[in-house]
Amino acid sequence: MENILEVKNLCKKYKNFELKNVSFKLPKGMIMGFIGENGAGKTTTIKSILRILKDYTGEVKIFGLDSIKNENKIKEDIGVILDDMFFPEILTINDINCIMKDIYKNWDSDLFFKYIKEFKLNEKSQIKTLSKGMTKKLEIITCISHHPKLLILDEPTSNLDPIARSEIISIFQDFIQNEECSILLSSHITTDLEHIADYITFINNGEILLSKTTNEILNSYAVVKCSEKEFNKIDKKDYIRYIKNKYDYEVLIEDKKEFTKKYNIKVIDKITLDDLMLLMIKGVK
Amino acid sequence: MLGFIKKDILMVRGNIKSLATILIMYGLLGISENMDISFIIPFLSVTIMMSTFSYDSYNNFNAYSSSFPNGRTNSVKSKYLSTILMLLVLSIITITITLLISCFKHTEINFMSFSNIIVTIPVTLIILALFYPIIYKFGIEKARIAIFVVVFVFTISIGLIIKGINSLNFDGTNSLINLIFSNKYILILLIAMIIILSVYLSYRISLKIYMKKEF
Repeated sequence: MENILEVKNLCKKYKNFELKNVSFKLPKGMIMGFIGENGAGKTTTIKSILRILKDYTGEVKIFGLDSIKNENKIKEDIGVILDDMFFPEILTINDINCIMKDIYKNWDSDLFFKYIKEFKLNEKSQIKTLSKGMTKKLEIITCISHHPKLLILDEPTSNLDPIARSEIISIFQDFIQNEECSILLSSHITTDLEHIADYITFINNGEILLSKTTNEILNSYAVVKCSEKEFNKIDKKDYIRYIKNKYDYEVLIEDKKEFTKKYNIKVIDKITLDDLMLLMIKGVK
Repeated sequence: MLGFIKKDILMVRGNIKSLATILIMYGLLGISENMDISFIIPFLSVTIMMSTFSYDSYNNFNAYSSSFPNGRTNSVKSKYLSTILMLLVLSIITITITLLISCFKHTEINFMSFSNIIVTIPVTLIILALFYPIIYKFGIEKARIAIFVVVFVFTISIGLIIKGINSLNFDGTNSLINLIFSNKYILILLIAMIIILSVYLSYRISLKIYMKKEF
């Protein structure tokens, strides 16, 4: 499968934080959920991919091209949402269209205003008069109106109510319909990702802990709930992490089928991405 | 790049009422106090351009625009072009106000005011050319202090240069300096070259700083 984005051994050092050999691949026509707790390195990774951060090592290929050598060419085909970064709030929605048509060669004013109408935004409104949800919608409309092939979105659904989130998610689903476009989407709201993401990449403390298809994770991984006695019987090789609660143990396992064959433990819950994050971060190895 | 210039213009348009009020106030002062209003060019241009930097910084537009094709280069280039454009517009407005004042007061047109306006443009351009690399290096908030220092050093330097020129011997021993100061065309050409070079150098330094900047 052709990859639209390839990140290989990305390293970036700060005084108190480090990205350590971050690597993952996003195939064409797919949505990748990029998850991790606050400060895990999601935004640093995204900013490095976009060359908003510069002093990093490693290789980033977008559309098969080196992201440094072909930076401007690549950026024509990328749509971006960054957390708390947008146009000066004194500008109006009309102003954004007026500016962006001279920024991107493929800017589509008709598409921009079609979505503005669809989301019931007033084109004469200044950004500062819009609610957080409306501003987020405007950011999304702005990032897709030049027909990009790749969307890189940092927390696009944060601060949105469930209805607005569902409207936005349906835009993302429309976006990848032609199977030529992909989305890298970082989010804390993992329930959204369970519905739309084809791949999940999980970053913690600057390191990629896993990068797999969502189906693989949701069907294969599981949470075993057992007593201390049962836990002591489990071989260390057969679990990834565990959390000791007051009355029981929660154990993260990678292969549900194999585990059920080997152990006679009855309570094996289907995993959610929230469980996965919690156990991977807080659990003991 | 046109998109970035448009952005700056549209941001100024957002403050057009306050800018118009300032212009009207100074226009009225010019009528009542017979005052030369050419000083509003540096005053307003510095205020306007600083406000565009502040808006960009406040909404993290600099980081956002770095994701655009040629975002960094166009961002810096457009700031310099917006500045030149704004200086031209402000000069036209100031000349118009000066003419209106003459008409209103039924007095002869004061050509001294026009020459002041013409002198003010390059001086303002040089000041802003000094400011911009500092702003790009430290950001608009921290740059304010650095700008005060630069203005202070700049003023002292100009004072010393003028003092030095005055003390020069014009009796023929410094033939080159005599030639420059006796021929106004050479002087104008020299000043124009210094301004173009300063602005170009300032642009190159700003661009170098901004290309390496991380947001």
